[in-house]
Amino acid sequence: MKNEGVLWKILRLSVRGMTMLLLLAMLVPLAIIVILSLSDQSYLSFPPTAYSFRWYRSFLANSDYQSAIINSLTIGVSAAFLATVAGTLVAIAVIRGAIPGKNLLSTLMMAPAILPQIILAIGLYPISVLLSLNGTYWAVILAHAAVSIPFPFIAVCGALQGYSDRIEYAAMSLGASPRQTFRHITLPMIGASVFSGFVFALAFSIDELVLAIFLTSPSTRTLPLLLWQQLNYQVTPEIAAAATALLTFTLLLILSATIVRRFSQQKYKVSGA
Amino acid sequence: MGGHLEKRRSRGLNGHLWLLLPAALLILPFFVWPSVLIIGKSFSGDTGPFEQYRIVFANPGIRTVLAYTFYVSAVVTGITLVIGYPVAFVVTHLPKKIAAICVALIFLPFWVSTVIRTFAWMIILARKGPLNESLLAIGILSQPLRLLDNGVGMILAMVYIQIPFMVIPLINTMRTIDPSYMRAAAILGANPFSQIVRVYFPLSLPGAMVGSILVFISSLGFFVTPSLLGGSRTMLSILINQQASRLLNWPLASALATVALVLTAALFLIYKMVRRAAATSGGIA
Repeated sequence: MKNEGVLWKILRLSVRGMTMLLLLAMLVPLAIIVILSLSDQSYLSFPPTAYSFRWYRSFLANSDYQSAIINSLTIGVSAAFLATVAGTLVAIAVIRGAIPGKNLLSTLMMAPAILPQIILAIGLYPISVLLSLNGTYWAVILAHAAVSIPFPFIAVCGALQGYSDRIEYAAMSLGASPRQTFRHITLPMIGASVFSGFVFALAFSIDELVLAIFLTSPSTRTLPLLLWQQLNYQVTPEIAAAATALLTFTLLLILSATIVRRFSQQKYKVSGA
Repeated sequence: MGGHLEKRRSRGLNGHLWLLLPAALLILPFFVWPSVLIIGKSFSGDTGPFEQYRIVFANPGIRTVLAYTFYVSAVVTGITLVIGYPVAFVVTHLPKKIAAICVALIFLPFWVSTVIRTFAWMIILARKGPLNESLLAIGILSQPLRLLDNGVGMILAMVYIQIPFMVIPLINTMRTIDPSYMRAAAILGANPFSQIVRVYFPLSLPGAMVGSILVFISSLGFFVTPSLLGGSRTMLSILINQQASRLLNWPLASALATVALVLTAALFLIYKMVRRAAATSGGIA
């Protein structure tokens, strides 16, 4: 019995240690890209023998990257805005409204996140031609908006389930109109989740590749697509610099969403949203 | 005074349908229509509606790709489960604040573009990359491993990318397991090993199922990692892309996409059933 206890303790400690190692290992690939972006060499080799910011300078001066960044931001912000409006309204309808088929509706709202993007891409290509959207910003914006609806939808559903609808009924029974109730009760309660839904949709669009391959033209090329083309063509540390920039931007976005949500949870003492 | 309340309640069905309009304007033309279009196109052909499907299931090349896609997805799912289970167990039973940091660490790579994460693995696994160099330096290897053109590197990178989808549902399920079950088993004489195997493990199965299905579904449709790290072997998404954009064989591409769509939808239904079953049994417990 005593032996067994010692063995068990050793096992538990080693599993715990391995878990911590693995969690740190999750960061290694990201760290390697950041280190590589600081390389002074003209080809990829790890670890670099000399360090400099030369690839950042060349990345910032490269007009292909400049237009790709502007395209990614234009497409991402527009798509995230449309997805957030649509996803938030559906979430309100599903959680608070009186509509039939709620179960089916939430499955349909989740489906774009599950379907492999290549399927959607080859289906959307002929449609974008048919609607004469192909090569325009709208082709990618609308596709990204449809596919990123699940992010705001899930976030806002969570927030609405986090507090009782009696608060809204109380406001209305005290004479607030539905619009006033929404403006002064619902919106402040779900605001942080609407924002984090927007951020997640934006992060999704800024990272998405497969739909972009099929729906962009050279003039609407996004940053992941440019990275993809470079990876298939010629690999220099410049890609690592561009990847580090994209990585930093995405992580700052996610961080801002987390901070806003934390802050709002403290303000309204909503738990579990 | 309560007029609005009555009005809101009595407006009933039609009162809230407008809330669905913006989503319908996005989902119907840009999600439902393309799906229907692909299914429709998959039934076109010169010799009858099922021509493409005959090709899909009779062509040995395509069958190999389908089998390989299943094989890779299953291996990736198995490895993520074996790695993810102990990780989820440890994280679940850490103090709340530390657990939150761990969850954030697990999720951090998830928000980094798949292109970038795959690029990182291209560097790590290269013939003269850090992995080979350090294994050679320690003396474990006498010559560098080939990892980039035989599928091994692809599976490693996919496991790395899929870990969050496995760990998060596992943690969610493990958090609902009442520790008093384990204490009861201990009082009844079960040693720690059988407490885990006979009490804890069965209770955590729904989380393992949900995580495995999520990982399997998303592995089936993987595109970026197999393209860059897959070497000569082809996965389903790459084949669909080749047929559509290089060979312009849209009917065959559509049939392949429909196969992927049906598989995904079936697995998603199972996923929903497991989650519902887990939710009801969790309610009883």
